[in-house]
Amino acid sequence: MKNAKLWIIVAAVIFIAAIVWCVIIITKPPGEIVTISQDGETLYTLDLSEESDRTITVEYEGRENVIEIKDGRIHMLEADCPDHTCINTGWLEDLPIVCLPNKLVIEFADESGADAVAR
Amino acid sequence: MKAKRLALLGLLTTIALIIFVVELRIPNIAPVPGMKLGLANIVTVYAVYHCTAKETALILFTRIILGSLFGGNMLALLYSLGGGIMCLLGMLLLRKVIDEKHIWVCSVLGAVLHNIGQIIVAAAVMQTAAVITYLPFLLVSGCVAGLLTGLCAQLLTSRINLNDF
Ligand SMILES: [Zn+2]
Repeated sequence: MKNAKLWIIVAAVIFIAAIVWCVIIITKPPGEIVTISQDGETLYTLDLSEESDRTITVEYEGRENVIEIKDGRIHMLEADCPDHTCINTGWLEDLPIVCLPNKLVIEFADESGADAVAR
Repeated sequence: MKAKRLALLGLLTTIALIIFVVELRIPNIAPVPGMKLGLANIVTVYAVYHCTAKETALILFTRIILGSLFGGNMLALLYSLGGGIMCLLGMLLLRKVIDEKHIWVCSVLGAVLHNIGQIIVAAAVMQTAAVITYLPFLLVSGCVAGLLTGLCAQLLTSRINLNDF
């Protein structure tokens, strides 16, 4: 039985749910605790409010990623990846900075976890 | 497979490849990995409704593999395949419940499945759930892009009948 109406409703619900989900992510206040992980392993856990300006170099199979911390913010400064999406993401805000080719992720730690560390 | 049919499938694949290569030239404005229009899927959606499941799979996978070679980005191949398989299976099932007048709905849902497939592959490769944060953004753009490609495919459907060839 063909019932296109049902599937139009399904598509509309997915679309609206996705927009709401986006808004939730964008309006979520940024944390201070940042983790840098590669291939599922956490390399660094940093408290941005206490970090001084510096760069961190992470290597993956001969390719390098340079992460810069400046004025309590963090971003990908240089990367040996073909797409440079990680650099174009800019400073870490709502979305995690992901370098797919080099399997590197910079993200805010879970809020509840960050609070637990702070206390 | 008849020679005529084979030539027709080759033609569809070539059209998809050309669209794909042209789209590679359009710079990615959003800093979200994997976000794109996916105009080559006009051919995929069209094929879902006019070719057999096997033929559609042939067109899609030939385009994905050759497209990655032409684009020089073999790293993207894995993500395209993950998304492509999900999208294809989903649309072949939806073809049974969505009629030809609503191809655009099938296309939108196919795009949604494509995005979910991409994220599953990314999460598995990167060993992190962090990439799921990208899913809602991909879904919003995917729905809009899917609607666009679906409407294009629908326009073609009413004008080109493969049996005429
Ligand atoms: Zn990168």
